[in-house]
Amino acid sequence: MKCRVCRGPAVLDIRRHNAAFCRDHFLKHCGEHVRRAIKDHDMIRAGERVVVAVSGGKDSLALWDLLLGLGYAPDGLYLGLGIGEYSDASGHAARAFAHDRGLKLHEVDLAADFGYDIPGAAAATHRAPCGACGLSKRHLFNAVAVEHGYDVVATGHNLDDEAAVLLGNVLRWETAYLGRQHPVLPATPGFARKVKPLYRLGERETAAYCLLQGIDYQVEECPMAEGNRHLGYKEVLNALEDRSPGAKAAFVFGFVDSVHDHFTDDAGAEREGLQACEVCGSPTTSDVCAFCRLRERVGSRADSPR
Amino acid sequence: MVLRNPRREVEMPGPLTVSALLEQLDVNPESVLVIQGDTLVTRDARLSDTDVVEIRPVTSGGAA
Repeated sequence: MKCRVCRGPAVLDIRRHNAAFCRDHFLKHCGEHVRRAIKDHDMIRAGERVVVAVSGGKDSLALWDLLLGLGYAPDGLYLGLGIGEYSDASGHAARAFAHDRGLKLHEVDLAADFGYDIPGAAAATHRAPCGACGLSKRHLFNAVAVEHGYDVVATGHNLDDEAAVLLGNVLRWETAYLGRQHPVLPATPGFARKVKPLYRLGERETAAYCLLQGIDYQVEECPMAEGNRHLGYKEVLNALEDRSPGAKAAFVFGFVDSVHDHFTDDAGAEREGLQACEVCGSPTTSDVCAFCRLRERVGSRADSPR
Repeated sequence: MVLRNPRREVEMPGPLTVSALLEQLDVNPESVLVIQGDTLVTRDARLSDTDVVEIRPVTSGGAA
């Protein structure tokens, strides 16, 4: 196949664009889609401080690199989840990326700083580990951003992530979640703005970007995510995409452009009555926020006699 | 043909295209990158018996 732009040998074909690209024009394609996402949704304004939530995987490292390439100067934030060798390798990839480029990387370690890890939280709550992981990430990314005065938290959610989450939300008609699912969540008191500049790029593209840029990322999948619902949705969506290229993009972009606004009131209702958490001070609709309740639950289990 | 990550040897009568290889292995092209030696290749690339090929999954499971 030949590059759509220069007709040179292609390295990646993207069926939803009915196109293939050489290395240089593929990298440019990625930059263009991120630039467009930022511009269309007013994600980052002049002079704002940005922190990228970095896992050491392909998406977050591609995002950090792409933002740097577009002239932004984001710092990174790595959260140690305590998932054995997987976390060791992920942390190494994040640190190496930052070190090699002279970038600032904040680090938070669940075990050292908060007294629990994800496997322990899953055992204590008798729930899938991904729930405790997502809760911890959402809370701490925001808390660290607010503490250090960042205006924007950028996450590496890609088109496939957004399509899978959207499918899950639609299947259950989670209207409040649909109202919050958007490339930008505006800043509100106690919350930094959250942005997803990769939402126009598929995960084949973010993986290819890292490969072609020579970015060493954690290739292995999180062992705790194996068989989870999110991966099941992705499998279904990829089967659709294989038969109908462009299906995932049409699903997500159509929602963002034409449907999302119908659900914003549902999401807004959930944010009414926010107060400070009695333990950590973060905004919450309860007396104690979900993160502190999780910590308390894991801690009481660790303290209980065996 | 040698497939890596994890490394295993498979009997594939070559030459064959990336598309044909993925079809024979029942792998959805949308979920992987294919790397021939050190080079990322498109679905029409031709692979030979002697190639070392990585079929790298790109699907990640987190959605926080």
